[in-house]
Amino acid sequence: MKNEKTVITGAGIMIGLIAAALVFFGNPVNMGFCIACFLRDTSGALGLHSAAAVQYIRPEIIGLVLGSCILALVNKEFKPRGGSAPVTRFILGVFVMIGCLMFLGCPFRMILRIAGGDLNAIFGLVGFVLGILAGVFFLKRGYTLKRSYKMPKAEGGLFPALEIVFLVLLVAAPAFIHFTEPEGGPGAKHAAILISLAAGLIVGALAQKTRLCMVGGIRDAVLFGEYKLLIGFAAILVSALVGNLILTAATGTPYFTLGMAGQPVAHTDGLWNALGMLLAGFGCVLLGGCPLRQLVLAGEGNTDSAIAIFGLMVGAAFAHNFGLASSGEGPTANGKIAVIIGIVVVAVIAVLNSRKSEA
Amino acid sequence: MEEYIATFYSHFGAIRFKRSCEAAGLTAAVMPVPRNLSSSCGTCVKFQARGESSIPEKNEEMEQIVLVTDRGFQQIYQAEDA
Repeated sequence: MKNEKTVITGAGIMIGLIAAALVFFGNPVNMGFCIACFLRDTSGALGLHSAAAVQYIRPEIIGLVLGSCILALVNKEFKPRGGSAPVTRFILGVFVMIGCLMFLGCPFRMILRIAGGDLNAIFGLVGFVLGILAGVFFLKRGYTLKRSYKMPKAEGGLFPALEIVFLVLLVAAPAFIHFTEPEGGPGAKHAAILISLAAGLIVGALAQKTRLCMVGGIRDAVLFGEYKLLIGFAAILVSALVGNLILTAATGTPYFTLGMAGQPVAHTDGLWNALGMLLAGFGCVLLGGCPLRQLVLAGEGNTDSAIAIFGLMVGAAFAHNFGLASSGEGPTANGKIAVIIGIVVVAVIAVLNSRKSEA
Repeated sequence: MEEYIATFYSHFGAIRFKRSCEAAGLTAAVMPVPRNLSSSCGTCVKFQARGESSIPEKNEEMEQIVLVTDRGFQQIYQAEDA
């Protein structure tokens, strides 16, 4: 098992460096990867919301799914499964996204924000850990969304195929796909398509190989005293931090700025940063993995994860259509109400699906 | 005593089977599924038993049982649609 730790540490280091490099190549600062932001941008590009500043089909998402899918096919681990409480997973996906957009980032970006010196993300991390502990509490009480079942290969292959369609739409750029205007916001900041796609493919394959999961690391440490996945989490943080410091020294542009005020695509409201990530962490434990892990599992043919991703994308659309998403100015009143509703809904889902008496 | 690992479709199935093992007087522990056994990140139960006949009744959430040998895992049970 020592080898597994070495592999996951190496993968974490590579992923952190790739994330830092993506910012150098054009992604928004502290956003080499952000599954929530990138799914939100993709939703915007498809016209599911009309926030003009965040509309772009992010090739990193396409690459993550296809990288996982290709490696799974090569290693005969592409095993289409599904049928485990799809509607519940969709709803959980919606609220996980609302929590992420309160904080302004998924758990992956939370790490990258810390690696960029954004101390607001520490509040997010505290909330995230509390959310995972809430999820673990229900796991110990017999929480289950019931088992999944074998699905036809065509069913499992549909989601990866959809990502190829997204890639075609990105490259062809037909008029009905929305793209943020140059200088129009975070959606306009992106690395070249091939660089983003390659980064996604590599990270997707690494995450499939190592089962890397931002939620799983803390969950396994609490549940089993098992730290393997957490090591990957830490390796990403350290390598992205080192990458940011090297880029800052080499280019003179600040890729690392320690502090709270003025951080890129972030706000300084500690309470709501924490509560947003509490909702995300809680929901992700009930889903069985963070948004990155859902993409990787969908690449392996897991249609339950594909449903969760559709939930995340629709959640992003709700977040922008209903004024729930935070901005650099801070959280919105609607967003605060939605996060509270989300925590209640996720808790009710946890209670209704826990079977303590039978466990 | 032989060592076995059982994998499940849900964490719930794993903790239920662990309790069945303990009720049968077997040493059992829940842990993450070893990577070389599956790409899933679920929970498995590692337990010790004297032969297959002393393994507790399988529940509907069980995916497979493997015998841990020096040469790796030897599958002794797999759910019908796994």
